[in-house]
Amino acid sequence: MAWTILIVDDHPSFRASARVVLESEGFSVVGEAVDGASALTECCRLRPEVVLLDVQLPDTDGFRVCAEITSHAEHPTVIMTSSRDGSDFGPLVSTSGACGFVPKAELSGERVQELLGP
Amino acid sequence: MTGLRRALALVAIEGFVVGLVALAIILASDHIDDNAVNATLLVFVGWSFIGAGLYAWWRRPDNRFGALLTAVGFAYFLGALTGADAGWLFTIGVLLSSVHLAVFVHMLLAYPDGRIASRRLRKVLGAGYALSVVGPLPSLLFATPATLDCDCPDSAIRITDDRTLFEVSDALMSGLAVLIVGYVLYVLITRWQTASQPRRRAMAPILWSGVCLLVLLAGSLTSEAVNGPEIVSSATSVLGLVFFAVTPYGFLFGLLRSRVVQAGAVSELLQRMADAPDGSGLRQLLSNALGDRSLQVVYWLEDKQRWVYADGRLATLPEDDDRARAWSPVEHEGRAVGAIVHDRSLCEDPELVRSVAVAAGLSIENERLQAQLRARVEELRASRARIVEAGTAERRRLERNLHDGAQQRLVALSLSMRLAQSKLRNEPDAAEQLLAGAQAELGRALEELRELARGIHPAVLSDRGLRAAIEGLAGRSPVPVELAGTPRERLPAAVEAAAYFVVSEALTNVVKYANASQARVSVSRTNGHAVVEVADDGVGGADPGRGSGLRGLADRVSALDGTLELRSPQGAGTLLRAEIPV
Repeated sequence: MAWTILIVDDHPSFRASARVVLESEGFSVVGEAVDGASALTECCRLRPEVVLLDVQLPDTDGFRVCAEITSHAEHPTVIMTSSRDGSDFGPLVSTSGACGFVPKAELSGERVQELLGP
Repeated sequence: MTGLRRALALVAIEGFVVGLVALAIILASDHIDDNAVNATLLVFVGWSFIGAGLYAWWRRPDNRFGALLTAVGFAYFLGALTGADAGWLFTIGVLLSSVHLAVFVHMLLAYPDGRIASRRLRKVLGAGYALSVVGPLPSLLFATPATLDCDCPDSAIRITDDRTLFEVSDALMSGLAVLIVGYVLYVLITRWQTASQPRRRAMAPILWSGVCLLVLLAGSLTSEAVNGPEIVSSATSVLGLVFFAVTPYGFLFGLLRSRVVQAGAVSELLQRMADAPDGSGLRQLLSNALGDRSLQVVYWLEDKQRWVYADGRLATLPEDDDRARAWSPVEHEGRAVGAIVHDRSLCEDPELVRSVAVAAGLSIENERLQAQLRARVEELRASRARIVEAGTAERRRLERNLHDGAQQRLVALSLSMRLAQSKLRNEPDAAEQLLAGAQAELGRALEELRELARGIHPAVLSDRGLRAAIEGLAGRSPVPVELAGTPRERLPAAVEAAAYFVVSEALTNVVKYANASQARVSVSRTNGHAVVEVADDGVGGADPGRGSGLRGLADRVSALDGTLELRSPQGAGTLLRAEIPV
């Protein structure tokens, strides 16, 4: 059974590439969101198992969105992503409730699968 | 002898002669007791007013107060006609015997400016003049000397002898007079209460004797009717006469005091300024010297053509029609160096202000240099802060542009490449399509990087000079640009860069806001300056404060000691002009 995933990023070119990459590796991309607010509504509506969440969003900070999503019971697993390096964010990734971080340039189904565990 | 002096001398002679005539009338009168005492008092008081009035007139020809003071004296002599034994002359005398009080009130109300600004007050004064003539009519029309208990001649215009009619009409006149006097008192006291310190000082010498006289007058008017021709008849009359008579001396005393105060103030000011040559507390010293706590000193910055306070802040001078404040210029060695902003009433004492201004010239010049320096430092500090801020903002913008532009494209590119790699063997067609997309993405990323690099510093500017760089800008502009001229030789790198960014920002603004059909760019070398001009034929009305672009440019240009000027009248195009010393 394929993982259902929601992609949250304000850059259309990245969303398109990520969708192709993840779908080609067996993920089921159920939706896309362009900012923090729509990420939260789409999360409630689509109930994905995984959220791929960009750190820099036009309306808010990705970490804040992550904390909001993971504050609910039975929340999806959140994976943060950014075109910056993970080390730029220090301990923010682990404290925000996200399960891990993938740099955008290294995004692949395999990396996501590793973070999600067996 | 000037025309004014001759005229005043003539008036003095007239006053002297009129006084002698009055003296003769009183002395010859057969119905006035104590002729000699009354006559002496009359001429003494009359001549006092005329003398003091002429002096004031001569000192302040522009101020009508002197003329009014003189007029009180002449009007006072008219009362002497009441001493005449002929009935008709006596009648005229009684009719005119109160006119001097109306002139006196006029003078009080006009003091110290010499003008009566309020239209309502002028109406009341007019009523006062009318009443001063009409007031004695009841005694002349309806009463015989017997009714009045007076051994004066019978009135030439008497129509009946009716005590009741006389008393009723006389009381009516007195009532009206009390109303007018009461209103004038109210005006004077309100004026005093609302007056500033220097104005009170100017008002004091004659205000109080005047007010006392009016109070007495109101008191006697309410209690008794007009009392026949005798000057000295009761205690209130004596007191009233005293207050009336001291008024011109009060005025002279005020003048004298202001002269003494002036000499003292100026010498003390000079002494104090010698003690504190750095100009510390200059405002306080001047404020003490002029007795005006609200006084301010402002300095003239020739290079900026503007007035500033000591701390370099911009100052505005009171307008000519400002009723509370006025300013007096301060010069040093023939140049304007500053101004003293003071209470308007000090304008009544121009000599004092002028001598203080002269005494303070050197100190104000020193302070001015300091203020100039402070204004410059303040400007530099602000501009330096803006340059730092602009640098930070610029870096933020670059980071943002890199992140949102080229970096995102490269990320997408990287993902496409990986995908293409994975499909290369099994789905070569899909891989080929992915690679074609990647190629296009790469082209766009490169273009964005080029644009960004040009914004940081155009390589063509360093390599090939201003003309080539501006041609590049003109070529990329969507609005046609005519390049009128550029210097053949290379300019210093910083100047070239500033000129380039002036043109670049100006052309960006032309495209964004001007709605122009064409623009014209010229860079010339004139009088040791690189002059950069960008003009368009657009809608004009550009706001210099709009956005940070123009201010950033102004800072960039002023960092090279240059100036940036924006001319953008509504509907008549925009001209941005920078002059940078080379």
